[in-house]
Amino acid sequence: MRQAKMLRPLATAIAIGAGAAMLGTAVQAADRTFIFAYSATPASFDSDNWQAGMLESTVNVYENLTKHSIITDSTGREVIDSANVEPHMATSWNVSDGGRVLTFKIRPGVKSAFGNELSAHDVAYSWAMAADRKKTGNFMRTVGRVASVEATADDEVTFTLSTANAIFPRILTTVFPALVDSKHVKEFATDDDKWATKWLAKNTAGFGPYHVESVRPGEGAVFTLNKNYFSDEPFFNRVVFREIPSAASRAALVKSGKIHWADGMPIQQLVDLKKDPNVKVDSVPGTGMATLRMNPNFPPFDDVRVRQAIIHAMDYDAIGVAVFRGLGERADSILAPAFGEFHTASHNAGTDLDKSRALLSDAGHAGGLEIQLEYSDNWWWEEPLAIQAKDALGKVGVNLSLKRIPKAEMNSRRRAGKRDLPFFSHLANAFVLAPGYAFYLSAHQKGSSNVNDYKSDQFDSVVDALIEETDHTKRVELAHKAQKIHADDSTFVVTHFPKTYAVTTPCISGWLWHQHDRLVWKHLSCDES
Amino acid sequence: MVVPILLGITFLTFMLLRIGDQDPVAMIAGPMADEAAFAEIERELGLDRPFFVQFGIYVGKLATGDLGESWQSSERVADEIRNRLPASLELLLSAVLLGALVGVPVGLRSAQRPNKLFDQVSRFVSLFGFSVPTYWIALMAIFVFFFLLGWAPPPMGRLDLASFPPPDITGSYLVDSILTGDWATARVAAGQLALPVILFSIIVAAPIIKHTRAISLEVLGSDYVRYAKSQGLRPRTVRRIALRNSITPVLTFIGTELTGLLASVSLLELIFAWGGLGQWGLNAILTGDFAAVQGYVLVLALFSVVVFVVIDVLVLLLEPRATLRP
Repeated sequence: MRQAKMLRPLATAIAIGAGAAMLGTAVQAADRTFIFAYSATPASFDSDNWQAGMLESTVNVYENLTKHSIITDSTGREVIDSANVEPHMATSWNVSDGGRVLTFKIRPGVKSAFGNELSAHDVAYSWAMAADRKKTGNFMRTVGRVASVEATADDEVTFTLSTANAIFPRILTTVFPALVDSKHVKEFATDDDKWATKWLAKNTAGFGPYHVESVRPGEGAVFTLNKNYFSDEPFFNRVVFREIPSAASRAALVKSGKIHWADGMPIQQLVDLKKDPNVKVDSVPGTGMATLRMNPNFPPFDDVRVRQAIIHAMDYDAIGVAVFRGLGERADSILAPAFGEFHTASHNAGTDLDKSRALLSDAGHAGGLEIQLEYSDNWWWEEPLAIQAKDALGKVGVNLSLKRIPKAEMNSRRRAGKRDLPFFSHLANAFVLAPGYAFYLSAHQKGSSNVNDYKSDQFDSVVDALIEETDHTKRVELAHKAQKIHADDSTFVVTHFPKTYAVTTPCISGWLWHQHDRLVWKHLSCDES
Repeated sequence: MVVPILLGITFLTFMLLRIGDQDPVAMIAGPMADEAAFAEIERELGLDRPFFVQFGIYVGKLATGDLGESWQSSERVADEIRNRLPASLELLLSAVLLGALVGVPVGLRSAQRPNKLFDQVSRFVSLFGFSVPTYWIALMAIFVFFFLLGWAPPPMGRLDLASFPPPDITGSYLVDSILTGDWATARVAAGQLALPVILFSIIVAAPIIKHTRAISLEVLGSDYVRYAKSQGLRPRTVRRIALRNSITPVLTFIGTELTGLLASVSLLELIFAWGGLGQWGLNAILTGDFAAVQGYVLVLALFSVVVFVVIDVLVLLLEPRATLRP
């Protein structure tokens, strides 16, 4: 403890000099620098160019027309309200034509770090860019049923939807697409690169609280405050995004007070760090759950009885202890409890070895079954979960062989148009807190994270109806129905929420979880007293 | 011979990357892209063309010094290598120098008094250096020397957060800060370098001790050394004769070892957040960054060629019996 107290002034002194180290500029005495340790230097600042560190930085650079309200939960913690969306960079919006046309009034005085004021033209430009590039921003456009985006005045933008839906205002809380300062970005457009994507990958042009000032590949990046930021001024006016690839090194650094935040810590480190008085560890369940997915287009997973047998063979309590070391939270549906009353417990997800054996016998596998589980190192829990699954399935006569594949191969084989993994591990986060979006993403035939190629016309029609339904009671009913259909078809082994963790020095406060599951720096402060 | 060897290595790397199941398209497109985006990226990267057409285009560009572009960083691979190689060389050459300065005398001394206490201890140290995993010893050293004792600086790369990188001359922060007379930065750079270099030198010294000892034992037991002894030459003179005859194979061995170390330094770079070529290459392999992997492997091959040429020259200078053959 004494050591930590002695180190704190040193850490502060280092923090003051930190930006200068990477920028080569003089540092003001009043600088308050936040040191964020992550496994990689941001390789891109373009939200449609999905690279290491991209989301971790862009959520602090780009903000959008709406945001989720912040409320206080029963424990006194501030949380985002999944049910309510309020204006942010817009001052208001009007809905007309039965919910198909939404007209947003742009908030005056919202400026980028380059001094340009946000206009409706910036919004239209950003959406046009997303549509043309056909990546994440365009997926949001498709899910939100956006037919057109038009700047009807300098301070008024109109979205016309092909069908009214409750998802669209929530999409506008995300960085997909990111609202860019189009006046500035256009200066870097070329004949070969009309959207200046090369420039956007290396620079930022947002209206949010921070902008990137320098990047040193292999070392990190420095972000400084957008002096023109329209909302409350954040406590930290400088952020050093430091590349520390080794989780063990990040743990040592946060223990010593040399960094403020250690991101992406695996569970083994968390167990130790929780016992350390010089480190503060906080957590929220989040929306991403650890799953094993069965592709029903490949035998033996084309037989629902086999899929159900596997689900019932899993020892979920043992997974909680052995894999998640008691720190995870049991998941019981395709939809996370963070979705409030839309969530309902799955109907068939429990350990029942007798039922599992009976199902296997019915399916003609009384003598045993040989299957393979493929996993990678995208998430720390994949290998321990695979080992636990092998142990559990062995008890019902299923011989599970494990195959570890490279991350790049896993991502490649999960992509739309390929999807040839019969049984594998996966985690997906719903960046939009709407049940229709979460279902669409993970299990709709057009869903980008329907990586096990689940095909159910009945499920799709319920999800489509849910997306387009605006009556709250009916939406809840449809959400429950979708979960029931998906649970009956049994293509997911839902295990636990690994949770999202904040691992910080004790002075840090203000952490607020967001649906994108990345740290938002503007909420944080440091109390050295 | 160099060109066909490099061409062969390039072809093998190119082929091995493409016969696997990993392709960079899914990583570039992101998790929510549609099939049209995948097709567009495939076209942009030229991955929709026949294998030999792709290889021909790559070699054509290679001939002009164009190693392609990393899809991860959107940077030219040649620039990435130029920026990161000095960091790795700074670490590697310092460790090899230290390892050789310690390993060669220890190996020689062990050979002179085989099975005595010094020999036993040096063999144990050598065995330890051989057996201990690099990442484990690095993490232990960080825990002890940084966290517990506070002797080592934080494992946060080549400079602490409060220091400015010196003007770029050689790419080595230590050398460049000395060359520019920036002694404060030189001290910081040396401090950051100390722990990884000492650790890596243990790994480097272990085989050098073992090999030097074996060569020296062979030389000390040779006819000409026994003849020298029988002629009543002083032990110091005999040792000089033995050293002269041992040094060429030891030097060749160090060179051979050096060629493999540029790749194996990557784990140490990862743990110390060094930001060098090894860390970059490892990440490129894990993420299927084709152009970066090809560039990385090519640099490793070129490095081996350069090291062997340098060793050959040194052998020519040190070994009177060696001659150049046309």
